[in-house]
Amino acid sequence: MGDCYHRAGYHAATMTQPSFDARLLPLLVVTGKGGVGKTTVAAALAGASAGLGHGTLLVEVDPRENAHQMLGIPPSGGEVAEAREHLWLQNLRPRDVLDRIVRDRVRLAVVSRRIIESPVYQQFAEGCPGLEELAILGHCSSCLKGEVLARHRIDRVILDAPATGHGVSLLAAPELVADAITAGPIGRLAGELSELVRDPDRCGVVAVTKAEEMPMDETLELLEALRDRLHRRPEMVVANGLYPEVPPDFEPRDAVDRLWVDRRRVNERQLERLGGRWDGPRPELRQLPMERGPELVDRLAADLRAQLRGSGR
Amino acid sequence: MRLRDREPPLVIVVGSGGVGKTTLAAAMGLVSAGAGHDTLVMTFDPSLRLKDTLGVGERARGQDVDVEAGTRGRLVAGLLDPRRTFDQLVARYAPDSVARERILGNRFYDQLAGSLAGILEYMAVERLYEAHETGGYDRIILDTPPTRQALDFLEAPARIVGFLDSGALKIALKEWFDDQGRLKGARKWGFLGQSFERWLDEIVGLDLLRDMAEFFKAFGPLFEGFRKRAQDVQALLQAPQTRFVLVAGPAEERIPDALFFARKLGEAGHHLGPVVVNRVHPLVEADPAGNPGRELLAWQGRRDQAGIERLGALLREHPLVTIPLLPSEPTDLESLMALGRQVEERLGGREGVGA
Repeated sequence: MGDCYHRAGYHAATMTQPSFDARLLPLLVVTGKGGVGKTTVAAALAGASAGLGHGTLLVEVDPRENAHQMLGIPPSGGEVAEAREHLWLQNLRPRDVLDRIVRDRVRLAVVSRRIIESPVYQQFAEGCPGLEELAILGHCSSCLKGEVLARHRIDRVILDAPATGHGVSLLAAPELVADAITAGPIGRLAGELSELVRDPDRCGVVAVTKAEEMPMDETLELLEALRDRLHRRPEMVVANGLYPEVPPDFEPRDAVDRLWVDRRRVNERQLERLGGRWDGPRPELRQLPMERGPELVDRLAADLRAQLRGSGR
Repeated sequence: MRLRDREPPLVIVVGSGGVGKTTLAAAMGLVSAGAGHDTLVMTFDPSLRLKDTLGVGERARGQDVDVEAGTRGRLVAGLLDPRRTFDQLVARYAPDSVARERILGNRFYDQLAGSLAGILEYMAVERLYEAHETGGYDRIILDTPPTRQALDFLEAPARIVGFLDSGALKIALKEWFDDQGRLKGARKWGFLGQSFERWLDEIVGLDLLRDMAEFFKAFGPLFEGFRKRAQDVQALLQAPQTRFVLVAGPAEERIPDALFFARKLGEAGHHLGPVVVNRVHPLVEADPAGNPGRELLAWQGRRDQAGIERLGALLREHPLVTIPLLPSEPTDLESLMALGRQVEERLGGREGVGA
């Protein structure tokens, strides 16, 4: 793919990217493979966004809740929970969203319960391709209007996307469903969401990676897939978990020093690889000797804000 | 469990994303082949460099490829490609070429069927079974796929059987459409039938339903074969000589992941062998005049130590094997072999502790 991101003109609107501060994207989808610190970065972005005074809802899709630890609150159990000023957290179970749609459409409780409990529905809800992704994005989109918005003044939703396969499959799902289902409520929702996902003024993608070989392979593949399938480029690629920089005149004394120097060298080699393929914002986050929690999130949020200020071209 | 021994014939490496499963699977494969056992390493998504190292490029998607490692036993690498496996499976079970083409050419199959009812995950185990039955290997090491719920793939055979038994299929296999592609009976029911048809079209789209009905009709004859197969695969996964190796990250925050896997494996009747804690930071003396790198490593070393102690206490019946953080990930056969030897050495020292 070489210099694909340096070539001009595949999406005019994305060619000028104002900084994170200046541009309020209503939906930010944070994506990355397992183990890169996606939830940490999503929490830091949410912290940075809330710190700027934007009402921010962090949505986590993982049955094993994690994000609440980052924000220092008890597990939200599926509800929208306030973490601090301007910042809310919700752990989302896609099935709940689907069940709620059934309950809303089929008002008779006895009937809707029978539907929800039937094996046919359960197979459908679990197995129907694209449906879960549709539910997740649909929920995020609905948080930006209507009831939830009225209650919590949310300007922005940050989605900590499930660590499944490629983030692209989440983002491509609405279009896939919209192709198959052209009419009716599901078709309309899929159509709306596929427009949302394509709209660079309403939806942004944040790719999180580690500056190590395997995660970087995957990130470069992600950039390629975003471009080819969705004609999008991410808002930024966050390189997480870097070892501290080694001073130029540093002489390693022992194996421990050498381990640091070697691991940092791996980081730098991979950052260089990224730089060759991606010319957009590329904040770097260091590994810090700190437990996961609000203090770490604040530190990283401050780092992100400092690096993203004026990063637009 | 030791790789130089004949047993176990099947090693399944599980763990969360980003803990280094694939590299460890390859390293263990090298040691196993080095000890004279013909070994197949099946991986899902190796890094570009690991593919280069093993000498398996795109070629390995279609067939298993011999790795030129100069080991006493054969070392063979295979890449798992669920879609291709699925296509092959369709080809095998389809009664004739017309039926086969009807499935493969179906729009529903093409766009959507890949993720239906865990079929993708199922394909991983399916190919494992195939290799086990007909490959003639002494040992197969499976690096598990990055799945939604990390253990989905283990449950995939049971889910396929569940799907077949759920009644969803029976409904799908009914003759819903007449030969003009109209909903059966809709015309007979006059106005009511037509508005029902319109309503259905509104909600999910008749085109999709037609494609789905067509797909299931074409697929129907295959399902019996699937069913038997899924049960055999299930039995292989639960066989007493099959060993699961759980790879975990060292930090305390990764412990819940490891416990989750251990619990799920136990519940599903699988046999968990050693737990490999990978990329453990060294224990470093605190140094007041230290540098930021040392400070970080010292903190990480203490954190990992605490994590390992807790994990050891929680998983008492499983031997815990720790592998130190390497200066960089192994990228050639030599460094992979060195890593494999480390694993083997540490496995050997824990004999008789339930593995």
